[in-house]
Amino acid sequence: MLRQGRIGLSLLLLRDAVIFSSLLMMLSAGLTLTYMTTKVPNFAHGDFATLNVYAGLALVRLLNVSPYLGMIPAFLIGGVAALVLYLAVLKPLTDRGANYVILMIATIAYDMILLSLINISADYLNRVHKLITRLFQLRDFDVELLGQPGLFVVAPFLAFAMITSLYIFLNRTKFGVAMRAAIENPSLAEVVGININLAYATSWFISGGLAGVVGVLMPLYMTCNPDIGVRLLISIFAASILGGLSNIYGAFLGGAVIGFAEVLGTGYLSMALGPWVVPYRPVIPLIIMMLTLIFAPKGLAGVDWKRFVRRVG
Amino acid sequence: MPIPLPITFLIDLLTLFGLFAIISMSLNLEFGYAGIPNFGKMLAVAGGAFFVGAVPGRVIAYMLDVPTSLDFFRNNLEVVSLVNQALASNPIISTLYLLASLAGAALAGAALGYIASYPGIRLRGDYLAMTLLAMAEVLRVIGDNWEPLIGGSLGVRIPDPFRWVGGEYRSLSVALTILGVTAAMFVYLELVSKSPLGRTLKAVRDEELSARVYGKDVDRLRVKTLIVGCAIAAVSGALYSFLTASVSARDFNRVTHTFWPWVMVLVGGAGNNLGAVVGAGIFVTLRRLITFYKSYFEAIVPFDVVWLEYMLLGLALILVLLYRPEGLLPERPTRTLKRGDILRVISRMKRKEEN
Repeated sequence: MLRQGRIGLSLLLLRDAVIFSSLLMMLSAGLTLTYMTTKVPNFAHGDFATLNVYAGLALVRLLNVSPYLGMIPAFLIGGVAALVLYLAVLKPLTDRGANYVILMIATIAYDMILLSLINISADYLNRVHKLITRLFQLRDFDVELLGQPGLFVVAPFLAFAMITSLYIFLNRTKFGVAMRAAIENPSLAEVVGININLAYATSWFISGGLAGVVGVLMPLYMTCNPDIGVRLLISIFAASILGGLSNIYGAFLGGAVIGFAEVLGTGYLSMALGPWVVPYRPVIPLIIMMLTLIFAPKGLAGVDWKRFVRRVG
Repeated sequence: MPIPLPITFLIDLLTLFGLFAIISMSLNLEFGYAGIPNFGKMLAVAGGAFFVGAVPGRVIAYMLDVPTSLDFFRNNLEVVSLVNQALASNPIISTLYLLASLAGAALAGAALGYIASYPGIRLRGDYLAMTLLAMAEVLRVIGDNWEPLIGGSLGVRIPDPFRWVGGEYRSLSVALTILGVTAAMFVYLELVSKSPLGRTLKAVRDEELSARVYGKDVDRLRVKTLIVGCAIAAVSGALYSFLTASVSARDFNRVTHTFWPWVMVLVGGAGNNLGAVVGAGIFVTLRRLITFYKSYFEAIVPFDVVWLEYMLLGLALILVLLYRPEGLLPERPTRTLKRGDILRVISRMKRKEEN
């Protein structure tokens, strides 16, 4: 009986891990994409998602739209938020010769602006429309597919669709190839007539859009609050660093590893030691991030696996 | 004799100014002089405060023979009031307790700085920035949940080293202590910035490769800078705890203790201690004025006005970065040696050549 309960719990954990890693994969792939183009870690990336947690809440509760339909406006909102950051802040700063530290500070400033917007919308939805906007979730608004919550099917599917379409876009379309050229060697790409600015702006739009889609789905799975952006950011950074920060597919892998490590790690530790371990969940991505930086600073993609196998085996 | 109201207002303002000036000067040492983007400033500030919440209170309770049946956290109020009674009549022990706590907080901050710098210091600054931000958040999570540290989410009250001053003049003496520490830090950092070490830090910041070529151990210098910067910021956190006579993890967040110091340093002018101080002064004064007029807005908008203020701060910082990146008080060129010293060096070299 007890054994069966354990197995049941493990299956539930596994389901949670699949959902969380799928969402994290999309977030870290977006962060990595903008890091590859603009060479700056975007500290406002978590807010692109959180902004859409509240846009989604308004859509679902006020207009009775399905959260899955909400993915379309969420992609646009997230994309535009990211595009504004690039065009109005980062691009002018780069043109003035700002270095990456100044760019990072600018993303923190933008993070503050978005955080304020998020809190203002949370307050507004709460005071004017009487919705619960702090520590809420929308699990009841999910559909049921094959006896499972819809997100369990949709999230991995989305992550898979995202990685294939990014692959096709970057390798099989003319603009995608131009974008890779702009990432590899901006000056040379400019010489052959590639519009670098357009390529970079596109990468920011895609990055923000992916985060937006994650944001609208998040309340279906976890408890949301205006300040979850920074919690997400720890996981996103950990996943992206593990993936090497210079490889989108690495970021997908990193997202999967961090997602599973966080959910399964917290789950099994709380079964073994008691529920008090649950709040310490962000320690797991932090430790993985630190270990990566110490032992493999270029991430999983940078490790010479053949040498590693030879040494270990 | 009661202190008149305008003076209390001024005391509050100066207290806040001192606390933030210490943090912004420490950030200026890290970012302005050494070019380290410390996006986890909160880590050291909270670390200093957590140390003061966790250690000195227990130690002094033990030394003053508070019955061991009383637990520092579960019987927090009783223990602290017993200790406070003893401290009220003993200025010397009170002062020793204060100084030892500040020193301990600085050591705790230094240790945190070392740990935080370990994984990312050899890599480009953005890796360090990401780890520092993550560590600061995790420290806050630990402070909020791990009860043996500072009593978990309830926080903890700590013995008050200003109890012997008493009543009306407590806030004045706290303010003077904080301003004294601020002045001491300012003098120390000015000396550092004018010393060979200060010039080396600027060299590392501006031209890392050249500094390496000239044999400077860049990584060691960065670690040292973070250790000193974190120790200084931790003192500010400790002073804040003594001001409120309590410690709670919820008092620390990345808006107040990371973002604001960045605004102060960049508005005032990075690479210039006076700039950091002026930035803190302007910032604290402006915020006080905004708080003063806030009630007018509070009635007409359906959200907390504080967010409007944070949004304006974010916008202001972006505008400063775009249109006045050097800040109000730009960094001045490093002072070289006096003319006499240079002539002496030249003549010594000539003599060597002749030999």
